[in-house]
Amino acid sequence: MIRIPLRPLATILKARKTGKNPDDIERANIRQRHEDMQDESRVRAEGRLLVLGMLFFLGFLSISGRMAFLAASEPSEPKVHSFGGAIHAQRADIVDRQGRILATNMETASLYARPQELIDPKNAVKQLLKIFPDLDETRLLRDFSGVRKFVWVKKKVSPEQKQAVYDIGDPGLLLGPREMRLYPNGRLAAHVLGGARFGREGVHAAEVLGAAGVERTFDDYLRDVANYDAPLQLSLDLSVQAEVERLLAGGMKVMNAKGAAAVLMDVHTGEVIALASLPDFDPNHRPVGSGKDSDNPVFNRAVQGVYELGSTFKIFAVAQAMELGLVNPDTMLDIRGPIRFGRFRIRDSHYLGKELSVSDIIVESSNIGTARIAQMIGVDRQQQFLRDFGMFEKTSLEMIEASGGKPLLPRKWTELSAMTISYGHGLSTSPLHLAAGYAALANGGYQVNPTLIRKEQPTLGPRIISESAAKASVVMLRKVVTQGTAKRYGDVPGYAVAGKTGTSEKLKKNGGGYDKERVLASFASVFPAHDPQYVLVVAMDEAVETVGLKPRRTASLTAVPVAAEIIGRVAPLLGMRPHFEPQVLTNVELTAN
Amino acid sequence: MSYLEYTVKTVPTGLRKILFFNWPLAILLTAIAALGVLQLYSVAGGSFTPWASPQIKRFILGFLLMVMVGMLPIWFWRSVSSLAYLCALGLLLFVEFFGAVGMGAKRWIDLGFINLQPSEVMKIALIMAIASYYDWLPLEKTSKIIWVILPAAIILLPAALVLRQPDLGTAILLTLGGAVVMFLAGVHWAYFITMITAGIGLISIVFQSQGTSWQMLKDYQFRRIETFLDPTNDPLGAGYNIIQSKIALGSGGWSGRGFMQGTQSRLNFLPEKHTDFIFTTLAEEFGFIGAISLLSLYALVLVFCILSALKNKDRFSSLLIFGIASTFFLFFAVNMSMVMGLVPVVGVPLPLVSYGGSAMLILMIGFGLVQSAHVHRPR
Repeated sequence: MIRIPLRPLATILKARKTGKNPDDIERANIRQRHEDMQDESRVRAEGRLLVLGMLFFLGFLSISGRMAFLAASEPSEPKVHSFGGAIHAQRADIVDRQGRILATNMETASLYARPQELIDPKNAVKQLLKIFPDLDETRLLRDFSGVRKFVWVKKKVSPEQKQAVYDIGDPGLLLGPREMRLYPNGRLAAHVLGGARFGREGVHAAEVLGAAGVERTFDDYLRDVANYDAPLQLSLDLSVQAEVERLLAGGMKVMNAKGAAAVLMDVHTGEVIALASLPDFDPNHRPVGSGKDSDNPVFNRAVQGVYELGSTFKIFAVAQAMELGLVNPDTMLDIRGPIRFGRFRIRDSHYLGKELSVSDIIVESSNIGTARIAQMIGVDRQQQFLRDFGMFEKTSLEMIEASGGKPLLPRKWTELSAMTISYGHGLSTSPLHLAAGYAALANGGYQVNPTLIRKEQPTLGPRIISESAAKASVVMLRKVVTQGTAKRYGDVPGYAVAGKTGTSEKLKKNGGGYDKERVLASFASVFPAHDPQYVLVVAMDEAVETVGLKPRRTASLTAVPVAAEIIGRVAPLLGMRPHFEPQVLTNVELTAN
Repeated sequence: MSYLEYTVKTVPTGLRKILFFNWPLAILLTAIAALGVLQLYSVAGGSFTPWASPQIKRFILGFLLMVMVGMLPIWFWRSVSSLAYLCALGLLLFVEFFGAVGMGAKRWIDLGFINLQPSEVMKIALIMAIASYYDWLPLEKTSKIIWVILPAAIILLPAALVLRQPDLGTAILLTLGGAVVMFLAGVHWAYFITMITAGIGLISIVFQSQGTSWQMLKDYQFRRIETFLDPTNDPLGAGYNIIQSKIALGSGGWSGRGFMQGTQSRLNFLPEKHTDFIFTTLAEEFGFIGAISLLSLYALVLVFCILSALKNKDRFSSLLIFGIASTFFLFFAVNMSMVMGLVPVVGVPLPLVSYGGSAMLILMIGFGLVQSAHVHRPR
């Protein structure tokens, strides 16, 4: 900025000549400069004022605009009641294969308090205790009289209790709507459904999360708002499931077992029609506990439990030998024993003679015979065959628990392992694995992937065994029921049961061999034998039959009668008509007129 | 021009000063306050208790205070402005250590007959201090950085103390009020632009940090901000007031439901209906027309203040009037915007209408200063 000098030399000199006071000139210049500055600042201030005025005007404009907008809008309640993002309480229903409800939602209320708004906290606590005797009085008193602004009192409140809370009439006690998961059939299919729990909780809603079972596996689907009207349809059949559970529970009681499991599966689709594990629980009040403790009610024996399933495995060795052309059902094998293998001996439960046909090895359940067959097959081929049958991996069942049911394989698969595994020792699988294996034999040799989801049509997996070998295996299994170990209780008139028993001793608790007193009795069956439709596996944990003089634990007296009873009851429910095989006529003389 | 430079003999003296008051302004203020009393009467369900009659008494007291302050010469107020500022600062510090706690914040000093809020006093004292600072500061130094930092410190020190109470709304209003005076005094643009950019940058950095390892705020603090921004997220918590007030405004429509016919307010849906949210009940009962009328009254107050300031050749007087007018504007603008969900809910009363003692008295003292500047303007 160029400034005018306050004492310009030329003007001063001129003034001096004329005798004027040069200070006057300076004073005039100072005044001039001040006025200029003031003018400048005034211009600037007015500019600023204009800007400010514009801002004020904009403020007025936006406020009145907003006011007009609100005045024109329809007054409406906000639609979303939630905090921290929307809580979707609308969980899709779960239904059985016929559309009957297995899990649904129920509108209840949740009770909370704003202690600051309580008129009489002491009285409120007293009245609340009358309605909910299980509340902790001291905790409630402390919360209500403290500085807390929000206290949950009860997460689920019934309509009667809700009314009673209203009747207390304290404005600090507040009720919010809450949708809860309801399993109207109680314990039915508890292990499949699993149960639900609350996630994030708000006063207007709470998130319902799957805790276990299909609720957990399909949590994303069930919680998706888009699927609210599209219930999850399971392959289970409600009535069949109910019957299986009822009979299994009865059988478990009669046989003094500590647990039992049953799997009923469609052999063509792999659909699980019924899946039961006892003891069970009420999914409406799922007990705490993890899958680790095998005696906890939440433990699913059919899916999570892996056991050495014993003689039921023999049919796989025989089927493979037939598939490979090593034997045919009538091939005679030397079954003299015991087979010595180092310190280890393989023997039969009782003397079965010097030699037996392959068919009779299954019918009489000869360990020695099966072990001989396994020797013929060899380690590698046996591994490949069992892998095809799904005995190496966890099942594909859509339950979170299925991943816990991974088979236990021998650390080193020696020739001895091959022999013991052929009769079901040294390899632990779940009853569900066994059912899938039997289903593959029953459907003519196609791999089966167990599923809990309703399938419209059969979905056969790849072929894993020839049809002839599979058919021949089923014929042998049928003979087990008509002539062999399951003869006494196994057959169900009209439904031609075919199956194989298995009685495996459990490992001693403190190690060191097997415990004769504690067995896992199982019966794996398919029916009807001439056109297999379903496979049923029943396993009973530490079952013992005490009718006779001595307690007996063999599967033919424990698992078999229970399985037969189940088949007799559920076959009609499954829409099967009894089919009687043509009988050989006896004591009838055919005459011709 | 400063008072040192002009003769004051044309300034009215004694009781004659009364005649030279800015009476249109005073009448406007009375009209607004009357509207407030009417609304308090309605909110109480057609009763002068518990709010309307104390409000009348307070306004009369406030009006007398305005006249008294207006009678004292403006050069007196200028000379005590730094003292007033220091006193207010002292009170803020006092309340920081010994203040009464209410609604989770310590803001008051209990004087027995009135609960004094030092932050209210500071609103006026700060304007006075900044205005007298720029009156004292030679014009050419206005934009020198050292002379900008000093008033910035004068503003930010009490703002920080108020923020600690915690009272975010008042802290922001204090800062904005002081900044407006600085802006009008002619501080260079660049400073304001820098500050605004820095502020936006800081806020965006804080938000960017969410979910990263160097997150600056706790998760619940972010949630609170989110509720701030979208009250439907928490309809029973922080969002409750604002949602109910929007419903009330909507149900008022264009012409309103009629005096004493408001449902939202009458049925106790609205908390704070007699204080911060009183505008809602007014808008519900008198509709858009009533709300616009109140807004126009406020606008007229501003217009009279601005006219008075423009006529005034004294720098302190004009800055003071602008400052007080801006504070007044910020109050009702923020309050109305908050009620209508334009800005987050911060506890700011509607000036002269909301029920509340110290806010009204302080405001009337502020307008007393405006009157004093008007009466004692150089002629």
